Order: sequence, then C-alpha cells, then structure tokens
Amino acid sequence: MIQLSMKKNILTIGGGVAGIEASNILAGMGYSVSIVEKEVTLGGKVNQWHKLFPDLRDASDINDYLKKRVKQPEIMVFTNTEITSVKKTDDGFYAKSNRAVGFEAHAILLATGFDVFKAERKEEYGYTIYDNVITSVDLEKQFKKGGAIHTTGGKTPKRVAFIHCVGSRDAKTGNHYCSKVCCVTGVKQAIELSHLLPDAEIFCFYMDLRMYGLEFEELYKSAQEKHNIQFIRGRLSEASENIDNTILIKCEDTLSGRPLKMNVDLVVLLVGMEAGSGTHAAGELCKLNFQENNFLACSDIHLGRNCSSREGIFLAGSCIGPMSIPETLDNARSAALEIHKFLSKN
Amino acid sequence: MKVQGKRKIWHDYQKEIADDHYYYVRSCIRQNFFPASEYYFLKILKDVLGKDVFDDPKHTTCTGIGYHADIIPFETIQTVVARHFALMTEAGYKNFAVSCVTSFGIYSEITETWKEFPEELEKTRIALKKSTGREFKVPANITHTSDLIYKFKGDIAEKQVHELINKKTGKPLQIIEHVGCHYAKIFPSKGVGGAEFPNVLTGMIEEWGGEVVDYPERRHCCGFGFRQYLVQGNRGYSLANSKKKFESMKPYHPDAIICNCPGCTMFLDKWQYVLSETEGKTYGAYGSGIPVLTYEELAGLVLGYNPWDLGLQMHQVDSEPLLDKMGIEYDPEKKYLGKKDQYIGQPCNIVASL
Amino acid sequence: MKSLYNRLCEDVRFIEGIKACMNCGVCTAICPAAEFYDYDPRVIVNQVMQKDDTVIEGLLKSDTIWYCGQCMSCKTRCPRDNVPGLIISVLRKVSQELGYFTESKKGRQQLVVKRNVGDTILKYGYCVYPRTLKPELHPEQGPAWEWVYNHPHEVYERLNGNFEQEGAGTLRKTSPEVLGELKAIFDETGGTEFFEIIEKYSLEKAQKMGMATSDNNLDAYINHVQSQ
Repeated sequence: MIQLSMKKNILTIGGGVAGIEASNILAGMGYSVSIVEKEVTLGGKVNQWHKLFPDLRDASDINDYLKKRVKQPEIMVFTNTEITSVKKTDDGFYAKSNRAVGFEAHAILLATGFDVFKAERKEEYGYTIYDNVITSVDLEKQFKKGGAIHTTGGKTPKRVAFIHCVGSRDAKTGNHYCSKVCCVTGVKQAIELSHLLPDAEIFCFYMDLRMYGLEFEELYKSAQEKHNIQFIRGRLSEASENIDNTILIKCEDTLSGRPLKMNVDLVVLLVGMEAGSGTHAAGELCKLNFQENNFLACSDIHLGRNCSSREGIFLAGSCIGPMSIPETLDNARSAALEIHKFLSKN
Repeated sequence: MKVQGKRKIWHDYQKEIADDHYYYVRSCIRQNFFPASEYYFLKILKDVLGKDVFDDPKHTTCTGIGYHADIIPFETIQTVVARHFALMTEAGYKNFAVSCVTSFGIYSEITETWKEFPEELEKTRIALKKSTGREFKVPANITHTSDLIYKFKGDIAEKQVHELINKKTGKPLQIIEHVGCHYAKIFPSKGVGGAEFPNVLTGMIEEWGGEVVDYPERRHCCGFGFRQYLVQGNRGYSLANSKKKFESMKPYHPDAIICNCPGCTMFLDKWQYVLSETEGKTYGAYGSGIPVLTYEELAGLVLGYNPWDLGLQMHQVDSEPLLDKMGIEYDPEKKYLGKKDQYIGQPCNIVASL
Repeated sequence: MKSLYNRLCEDVRFIEGIKACMNCGVCTAICPAAEFYDYDPRVIVNQVMQKDDTVIEGLLKSDTIWYCGQCMSCKTRCPRDNVPGLIISVLRKVSQELGYFTESKKGRQQLVVKRNVGDTILKYGYCVYPRTLKPELHPEQGPAWEWVYNHPHEVYERLNGNFEQEGAGTLRKTSPEVLGELKAIFDETGGTEFFEIIEKYSLEKAQKMGMATSDNNLDAYINHVQSQ
C-alpha cells in the first residue's frame, strides 16, 4: 500500500501524454502522484510516431519533453501495472492492481487514452488480407524505421492512395463520430511520402478535409502546390487485389459525379481513434458513464470537460474523445487545475 | 494475399443454421434451368445425410422476380410469403430452407421488416386470413439451401468419391466462387462469412479438395438486374456485368465457377455463349468456356453421381473439361438421351460445341 | 392533394431506406448501373432528400429510376445506413401508381414485365416457366435451352422432374386451388389492381403514340418499348 505523509495522493491511470503532463503539474502543486501504466514503457502512442503535424517536427521532441516532465520526486511510476479494482473510501478511493501494490488516493485521474481502429473490421478494404493495404500507423512505423518504402513485392510504389475516414463517420463500424486528426495525418504522411517517392503519384481520397487546427489548412495548400498531392472527393468503397498484387480501388469522384476505379501500388488507410480498451476497462472499474461513441462521458461537454460522471474521478486526454497532442497537453493541464480545485475544497 | 485474414472474418460471422426438419421452398429459375439440382439437393439431404425435408406441392413462387422488377406491391409479396409460412406451420415445421437466393433475400427482408414495423406484420396477418383463411408463424430459422450443404460439407466429404483435384497434375482445382448478391449483401450477418468474404461456397470447395481463386471483381453482381434482363432492350446491362467478371477472372485460369444463386449460374453460363458468338471471346483454356455449376451439381459430382443425372447436359458451356480433369467417367453417347435412353433430340450446335 | 414526398413516406421501405446522405459516394462507386448507365444513386438520394415535388415528379417521369438492377450492393456499404435500392423501389411504385412511368422509354417497359412475369405468376404459379421462355425471344439462352424448350417433358423427366404433373416435384403443375389462393391474395392486397393500373396507363400511352389497334391490341406498342 502506498500512502505518503500528509500530502494528498492522486492516482493517475495511464502514463501517456495526458497522464504525464497532468501528473507533473499536480506534483508541482505539492501533491504526490502515482502513475500506473499497463505497458512496459511510458509515453503512450507518441512512442510510435515519427514526425508530427502540422510542422513535421520529430515526435521524439515530445518523448524527450515527457521524460523530463515525469522526473519529479513526487511522482511514482508503476509500469507494466494495471488497476484491477476501485473502491470508494471515506477519504477518496482505494485501488488494487495486478502487481503486489495498492493505492490510496484522494482523487483519481483517468488518462487511459485511445486505441487505433482495427482496420480489418472494415472488411471491404482487405486489411490483413491484401498485401499492399496498410494503415497510417504501419506507414508511420516504416517512416520511423527509415529506409525505402516498398510494396510487399519489393517494388517502388508509383501510385499510392491515402484513404480518409477509415473506421470513423461510419454506421457500419459503429463509429459515427469524426476522429478529427486523421485528415491532417493523411496530408502529413502524403507529404512525407512524396519526399521518399518523388516520382510517385499520391492521391488522398476524402469526404471532407478536416483542416481545423493551426497551420493545417496551410499544410493542405502546400501539399497541393509544392508536393503535387492530388485530392479526390470520394470515400473508398472497396479495395481488391489484382493478380500482380496491385490494388484495385473503387470510389466515386463525387465532384464530377462519376464512378472511379484505379489500380494503385499501395493503399494507406487513415484509421481513426477509438476509446481504448484501457479506457473501457478503467471506466467500468470506476463505474463511470460512457458516451454513445464509447469514450468516457464528461459531466458537461462545454463546462466540465475534465470531470467524469463521478465526484473525485477526473478525465484527461483522448479517453474523452479524439484529440491531437497539443490539445491533449491543454486538456491535461486543465485536468490538473480541476483536481486541485476539488482537493482544495476538502 | 494472406488467407489467415479471411479465416478470421469467417470465424466472426457464424450464422445459425438449423440442424434438421426443413420445409423446402423451390426456386423458379433453378427448376427451369437446373431441375436436377433441386432433385439432388433433396436426395443428398434425405438419403445421404438422413435429414427430414418436406417438399410441399402447395407452395408457389415467392414472386420475388416480379417484386424486384416492380410489378408486385410490397403488401402482395408479404402475403405470399406469409402463406408459405402458414403452409410450413400447418405441416408442422419451424425451419425454412430456401432454394433461390432472391427468395432468401425476400424472406429475410420481410421478416426483418416485420421486426422493425410490426404494423406490417399485422396487416399481413389480416390480409392472409381474409384471402385464404390461413394463419402463420414466422419460422424459427430461415436458411438458404447452400447453407445446409455448407453445414454438412464434412459429412459429404466423408462419403466423397471424387476430389476437386486435377487428376493429371495432382493439384487442387482452381475454382471461382460467385455468391448471389441477395444472399449476404442485404444482411451480411445472414450470410456465412458475411458479405465481403463469404465462406458458404469457399468452405465447400476447400473441404472437398479444391482451391478458391480470389479476383478483383469477385463481389461484382453478375448483372441479372431483374428488369434489365427480362426486357430485351435492357439485356446489354446484364451481359456487360457478366463480361466484366469474366475479364477479371480470366488471368487466373479457373477450372470452374460455382454459384449458389440459380440466376447467377444461368447467366454466367449463357453470357459466355453470347460472348463467344458475338465477339469470338472465350474465357477458359484452349478456346473453351469456363464450366459453371450449381453447388448441388458440385456436391453431386464429388459424391459420384452421374453427370447426366445431375443435369449438366442442360448447361450451355460444356462441363466435360472439368469432368475430365476430375477423372470422372461419363458416357458422351448418353449425354442427351432420355430417361429410357431414348433419343429426345439434342442442341442444334452439338457438332461445334464450346 | 398529397405531396409526392409524403406519398413516398407512406411506404415503410422508404422510411427504412432514407436516412440522410453525406455524399461520400460509396454507393455509386460499386453500383453496376452507375458503371454502365448515366446513373448515380447518390445524386438520386440527394434529389429525394430535397423534398421538392417538382424534382421528385421529374424523377418519376424519367428513365433514371429504371436503371437500377436491385443488386443491393449499395446497402452493404452506406455509412449512413441509407438504401438507394429501396428508395428506387418506392419511386418505381409511385411512378406506376400515378401513371408517370409511361412518360419515359424505360418506364414504358413495365408493361412487358407485367405481361411476361406477372401473367406467368398468376397463370402457372411461377415467375418463369419453360412454356414462356420462347427461344426466338431469348436467343441468348442458346441451343441448349432451345432443345429443352422443344422437348420439355422428355428432358425434365430425364432429370426426375414432374413437369406439368400433379403432386410434388420439380416444375410440378400448380393446382387450381393453389392458383386460386394466389389470385385471392393478389385481389386482397392490391396486386391485381396494380396489374390493371399498368395495363390501363400503358393502353392510354399506346393510343397516344398511335400504337394501339382499335380493339386495344398492344403488340405494336410492346414490340416498340421492349427494344428501347
């Protein structure tokens, strides 16, 4: 059992961007914080990214930043650890874990994040079946690894199609919402790919281009003007494999009102964010309300973004909904303030 | 291509298929063009698998072809369907086995409509009672007859006499499977394997030794199009759709095409003939066509039944190349003879056949 | 006077088929009719969504709504759970109920469908019957079918059928009692009336086009419309 002095304790479930940032601020305010992270390392999904939109800076900058932020004497880190039960106590909560350690906490912060949509669920795209259909996560891994981009046959792709809205805005997969950041991810990766494959034709097949953030629209403009990325307004209906392992894609060019078929060497599926399995598990354990889209419900979508449906349990980051790294940092900081407000009352 | 990905999808789409005691409803097109398929379906289920299947002469067409050609009101087809459910109920059955894929789509669509819109169910009860005096229960289980052959493919494999293997090369036959649109596109959960990678025919083919070929236009409609075929002036649509599929499958050199919808079987057979006559194009090896079979014919062949008993002589594209590959013996002299081996005419092109 | 849009809404298939379109185009992408005709199911859904009777009337009188092949590939993919194929069925129904179908080349073909499939249903209890598939009207069926057509009893007997016989079996004769029940259902549910509407409006149009004889024989009209 962890109980430190007379300081108030906070249990942060999830050691990614949100969890680390909020914990750092709370530690700075004098609280003692335990971060419980189910993976072997801290950092969350940003560990997998190579470069970030909109400016293509190195994702490792964020990693470095988080490493510094988590190095506080008041922060204790438990990786490879999962919370298995949460009970209300007089002072707050008591949480057990799957390791020989329990946590007494005056407040709990859920920062359990998102999972990437499993693209094989969009069966008509043939992910995990057709060799040259990959996801944006797969591509980012390839970028990070470095080296040339090839099809599975070892060919240098001459034509690549990025497919927007995979797993999002889709009654058939059960995710009606827009996942917000996939469009700009697609534009970013298209630009990165154009550097690696200067002779390739690169297409983005979209429904609406969600260029909502700072410099996003400018990135899109630059993609068209400087990098020759072609944008076609039509959602991918079906991908199938030709005998030479190229992929036949079918969509409609909705702006000209005609069906469009194209053979491409590589298809990149821009997969959306879903409420993670960790978010689901933690939300159940804490008996919290969920939104219809499976993310955790805040007490008020305008005014109570960091408050869950239960007093004393707070939310930060993409367990609330799809968000970018800067938004996650903003959100984590406001979560810290909400927790401080709450603990100062008692 | 990674087949494990497909297997995972098949694992996720497990459809409930009743085990025994079926009320059987026939298919207009299958009876006209593949009559022996229905005969052998019943024979295989009853004699080979020991199942109870009720063949009721009192049922009629479901009117599905007319309905999809927009001459039959929705209320009318609901009541015709209800009448069949009444006959099933009166005969003491709860499991409904449908021979036609369009019908299967109709029975599925109507039973789902009744769940969403119970007032339609009520209206239908009243209409059926008023017009025929009959009352009905909705079946506990509605399956397509290909689902049943799929379900019992293992039992059939145990009694298999021929494998889907090319006897000359020892390699599995390369088989194209074509699943009817109305089998799974309307309700993917009602198709074994779902709509994108259906397993109902693949399962049979692989169980009996063959290999299934995937090709880009696999999911494309054969082009029946109902009114697009029924009216002469529209038939180009129907032909064009099938041609698209043939062009797409040709590089894979398939040995046969298997369909679960009788319409698709008929069209993929007949349009090959039309293309060879009008454009001189053929899609099989050595300038011949690709044999197109129903799944009942395929099951019948692997069980060792006589190809001419199975009705292969009614096809336009000759099946002999497939029979030869499988090492199935047949008497060419008897192909077009009648029940008592009497001469009953023959197709006029027999000398120069496909 | 009911609006056309409200008329469409009376059909549960319309309620089922039209949610709201986000113009993604996945339906048109895999629609066989969109491949081969100047046809776009997405555009049709948007036109109907406008709830504008002038637009809807235009659709009901056009060739456009008759291109769909009812494959339902659109239903499998739509991310908003729309079903263009079902919307088309309801448009076609209303077009016939109001007689608008005779304003278009393809719409006029409904008489051909009614006289072939429709009459076959009530006469034989089948949608398609060997007696009605004349080789000269179906050259695409080939010499194999012609042989069957000319020797149906022998061929179907060879294959264990029961062609035009009583009792159970393949292509059995549908008994008069059963045909009577089928007709009663058609009478009760508006099926008979629908057939009569198709005939009535077709006759009117044929007369206008000068393709009906004085005793209302429509052979010339039928010959003309089925080749369009």
